[in-house]
Amino acid sequence: MVDEVVIESLALTKAFRAGVRAVDGVEFAVQRGSVCGLLGPNGAGKTTTLRMLVGLVRPTSGTSQILGVTIEPGSAVLARVGTMIEHAAFAPYLPGLLNLRLYWESAGGDFAHANLDRALGIAGLDDAVHRKVKTYSQGMKQRLGIARALLGDPEVLVLDEPTNGLDPGEMREVRALLQRVSDEGVTVLLSSHLLGEVEQVCDQIVVMDRGRLIRTGTVSELTMASASAYVEVDDVARATTFLQGLPGVTGVRAEGPGLAVELDGATRAHLVRSLVEHGLEVDTVTSRHRLEDAFLGLLEGESS
Amino acid sequence: MLALFRTEMVKQWRRPRTYVALGLLVLIPLIFTIALKSNPPQPRFAGAEDAYPFLATKTGLYLGVAALFFLSRFLLVVVLAVFAGDAIASEANWGNLRAILVRPISRRRLLTAKLASASVLAVVAAIIVPLNGLILGGIAFGWHPLDTPFAPTQSVSHILGSLAVASAYVLWSLTPVIAFAFMASTMTDTPAGAIFAAVGLYIVSQVLDGINSLGSIRSALPTHHFDAWTELFIRGSGPTSEMAHGALLVIPYTVVFLAIGWWWFGRKDILS
Repeated sequence: MVDEVVIESLALTKAFRAGVRAVDGVEFAVQRGSVCGLLGPNGAGKTTTLRMLVGLVRPTSGTSQILGVTIEPGSAVLARVGTMIEHAAFAPYLPGLLNLRLYWESAGGDFAHANLDRALGIAGLDDAVHRKVKTYSQGMKQRLGIARALLGDPEVLVLDEPTNGLDPGEMREVRALLQRVSDEGVTVLLSSHLLGEVEQVCDQIVVMDRGRLIRTGTVSELTMASASAYVEVDDVARATTFLQGLPGVTGVRAEGPGLAVELDGATRAHLVRSLVEHGLEVDTVTSRHRLEDAFLGLLEGESS
Repeated sequence: MLALFRTEMVKQWRRPRTYVALGLLVLIPLIFTIALKSNPPQPRFAGAEDAYPFLATKTGLYLGVAALFFLSRFLLVVVLAVFAGDAIASEANWGNLRAILVRPISRRRLLTAKLASASVLAVVAAIIVPLNGLILGGIAFGWHPLDTPFAPTQSVSHILGSLAVASAYVLWSLTPVIAFAFMASTMTDTPAGAIFAAVGLYIVSQVLDGINSLGSIRSALPTHHFDAWTELFIRGSGPTSEMAHGALLVIPYTVVFLAIGWWWFGRKDILS
């Protein structure tokens, strides 16, 4: 059962009227109990993909499946999915608690059967839950949104930028929460632009850029796939020009006082030797296999 | 379906704008009553706008008629457009529409519940207008049969019955406005846009209806027979054939506007 596919994007494509393909043939699958991170720069098509997955946007072609059911707007299987797309939004003139109740009851549920204690524990709003939502900060709304998504003890969680508007402490709590629900067997698909956050929480990564799928895999697969190095030299401008023409180097960009170098075939030893032979003085060389580097390397490789 | 309707009604009743809109329908007849009481009009019968205020001072029952006449010409139209135009667009504007539609709730069910709750408020508004007028008129001038040389003699029960028919007719005549506002509400994330569009439809129809050279085209305009109910009081008769025409005329408008709204929303990508 470990490899059971719970969320499946099957060649999802969305072309808007202006002819722009916001999402172009995206295919990926998320296994039960995984925490999958959907990564990509702004405009990559992450939110549109999530919207198609839960039936808010009709695909131009392709389908999405959750728990083995092809998703249509209002599909019954959505009762088993907790969702928060973009920022959490509510009826602003109603108290937080009443918003939760109406959300739950709108689909015919009995509020007494909702997992309210856990939801309120996550929201952490205390007495503020009785206040009108329009008095909430963005962070409070976001926490209430996550709580709303978890009201029904969902088997699947789809969250779009869930830590937007949260302070570092709240972000850590959300990460811990996602880990906890994942341990309980809940499958989580989240989009985020916070790569450090994704690296800490996700065991599976889907990278998108300009509507297309760039890479899928585990965090370690992705970081190993794109080796990179950070070097500090005495003449950054000359080193940049030289490295851009060096075989085995796919990208060079300034980073702080040094250069981040994407390697494809070249080793760090070769890199240092080449720089020295070119008359440059090398102060520092470090290996960099963080997700951020892998991610940026993937995007650079894609655009070149 | 019932659960969804119930939640929509809770949302509507908890909205401050509901009370502001209904409050205006109560407040303006109150001001009108005070004005009539402190400065009674002279008998002038150039039209209903002159006759009803004068007759209201003879029997408070006619204050209900006057309230219906004056408010239905614009304020009631705006209020009904607010209830219907706000229904979907305000949820989209807050971003709450996507939270509703990621639940196992079909768009058709949501529209039905939203339209039903807006319709309930429309009925409440259409009842408040004459009822408030009757109450204020009773307090200020008392309820009497109408017996003046200036109008047909009418009993209390006749006036009350005619006012009930007239109120129902006014509400029914405004269903194209409700339907248009609701249709526009499915197409925009800006509630004001949907409301203005519906009020605009009403105004354009009224303006066109005032252009005599348009000839028989005018009789196809949704507001052409809007004032037909005044015959109930001017002649003291029962419902007229013009009212029947008016009641039938609005049906295709309402059906077409709602059908477009349903079709549009069913295909719409929820992006807000």
